Amino acid sequence: MRILLAEDDELLGSGIRAGLTQQGFHVDWVRDGVAAERELLSGAHQAVVLDLGLPRQDGLDSLKAARARRVGTPVLVLTARDAVPARIEGLDAGADDYLVKPVDLFELAARLRALVRRAHGQTQTRLEAGCVSLDPVAHQVWLDGVAVELSGREYDLLHVFMLNAGRVLSRDQLEQHLYKWGTEVASNTVEVHIYNLRRKLRAELIETVRGVGYVLRRESVPKA
Amino acid sequence: MSPSAAATAKSGLSLQARLLATVLGLLGVVWLGVAVSTWVDTGHELDELLDAHLAQAAALLVTQRLDDLEGDNFPAPPTLHKYQTRVAIQVWHEGRLVVRSGNAPEAALGRDDRLGLRTSMVQGETWRVLTTPGREADVVIHVGELESARHDILLASLRSIAWPMVLAFPLLALGSWWAVRGAVLPLRRLGQAVAARRPESLEPLSVASVPPEVAPLVDALNDLFERMTELLASERRFTADAAHELRTPIAAIRMQAQVAQGASAEPERAQALAATLMGCDRAVRLVEQLLQLARLEGEAVRGGQAGNAGNGPCDLTATARGLLADLEPLAHERGQSLVLRAHGPVSVPMPLALAQVLLRNLIDNALRYSPPGAQVQLSVQAQAAGRFATLVVEDSGPGLPPEALARLGERFFRVLGTGQSGSGLGWSIVQRLVRLYRLDLTVDRSVALGGLRVTLDWPDPSQSVEY
Repeated sequence: MRILLAEDDELLGSGIRAGLTQQGFHVDWVRDGVAAERELLSGAHQAVVLDLGLPRQDGLDSLKAARARRVGTPVLVLTARDAVPARIEGLDAGADDYLVKPVDLFELAARLRALVRRAHGQTQTRLEAGCVSLDPVAHQVWLDGVAVELSGREYDLLHVFMLNAGRVLSRDQLEQHLYKWGTEVASNTVEVHIYNLRRKLRAELIETVRGVGYVLRRESVPKA
Repeated sequence: MSPSAAATAKSGLSLQARLLATVLGLLGVVWLGVAVSTWVDTGHELDELLDAHLAQAAALLVTQRLDDLEGDNFPAPPTLHKYQTRVAIQVWHEGRLVVRSGNAPEAALGRDDRLGLRTSMVQGETWRVLTTPGREADVVIHVGELESARHDILLASLRSIAWPMVLAFPLLALGSWWAVRGAVLPLRRLGQAVAARRPESLEPLSVASVPPEVAPLVDALNDLFERMTELLASERRFTADAAHELRTPIAAIRMQAQVAQGASAEPERAQALAATLMGCDRAVRLVEQLLQLARLEGEAVRGGQAGNAGNGPCDLTATARGLLADLEPLAHERGQSLVLRAHGPVSVPMPLALAQVLLRNLIDNALRYSPPGAQVQLSVQAQAAGRFATLVVEDSGPGLPPEALARLGERFFRVLGTGQSGSGLGWSIVQRLVRLYRLDLTVDRSVALGGLRVTLDWPDPSQSVEY
């Protein structure tokens, strides 16, 4: 899962990035409000951790600007401003969650997972699509109740497909969801991962939509 | 003992008792004066009146012939008044007592050769006597009256005015007590109102129902309350700000510690632990700064004067040299150069510890907010143009935009986007010291180096105006 982190404090920022990476997130880190707004508008991230006291532009203004442009990415505000009016202001400005520093790494990760789940209209923590189920907390995938070993990228790709089950995703979108900045992506990387997923799970699980992209069907996939 | 009773005991009589004692004491003195003057005046008038009576009685006797008086044919006058019998009469002829009234003694009331009014002692009693020659030769008439009788009359008349006075005294005392009590009641009420307050309620007292004499007290109290409210608010703000400012380093420490816990590889763990330690150092520095600031603020609240913290003196050059040695590693790490320009010792009226705090914060800021490779220069000058001493800290950093210059020194204001983890407290501390020691602080652009220049002037104490 690709997360945007907007935090100007070097020490805290590097800590959150390292911690969330341990928790299986891919973290892009910006250090000021203007960059935060730009990245929010790109829509490349599945969730955002936003500090409010950012240089160049307050985090709250970045959030308001993004919401005004109909950006629906879930945003978790992480700030030292603990007063109740500040919390209300943050939530009313479009934040989906509001956490006051200091925060527990595991709680932060859990809240991010919850935000992403809800943003995709899911109520169950364990995602189900036909005979395949995926547990984002345990990073575990099952096929007909049997655990399947997937590589990190394969898992991420399947997670994206299952969150967006029934929706057609272009290769660009998939790349955007999978890779943080500065990662060299070979032109056929996504195809390779999809091939591996089809091989390890079911060939019919992910359909190719010619000229558009790929889709994972929500309905039960008939057994081969 | 209740607090109010303790206060009364300490300051002696209560206001009410004092007022009451004064009023009643004065009343007593006045009444005593009235009594004395009445005694004297009435006595005098009474003497005149009764002397005239004696003279009248004597005059009547003088008109009588001796024969008419002699023997038993002395006419007993009819008793017309109760005081009438008091007058005693003696008629002497050739040294022999010829006639005397029943109340007159045997002994002569006066001497024959002393005519007129006299006061004489006869048989142990004081008499007022008028002596006059009779109609015939060798006849002397004494008409006398006992002084004690006159005294009785005087006492009676005095008693008649004394009684109302004595009876009125308790009434007056009661009336005065009531009036005085009414007059001090607003004070008492004020005291109760203040005593009944909870320590945290500092809203002003009402001036509406207070007499004009007490209004200044209420105003002064309200003024005090207002200042205390301000002080409390600033304390609360400070605590809130401090807590807020500590959250970020603590959040960083916590996060890095969890990263270290969850690290799968040794380099990652080592890095996270190093970051944890850095976070601790930062939190410690922040706490130290907060404590310094709190101490300085306490100093300002207690006296508002540098005198409480001491006046040194210390050598600015030596202090700067010592600090430069301390901070050199930090500068070296950042590839910055740190230069001191000074010519010999410069003594300033400031304790060494505070001068160190002041200089450290200035140099620290210059180093932190200048890019790697920058130059930071300190100059110490003595006695330049009416100044006691001047300290300049300048750097070749980016300087500050005007709007940031204006906000410098606001607690926890931090120039954002510098990538530095300062708390903005350093400037607050500098400014607090500047106020405490009445230094002149100027912040502008460095001509020599192009960055920020901070100039601190110690005013010449011989030219300074006490205020």
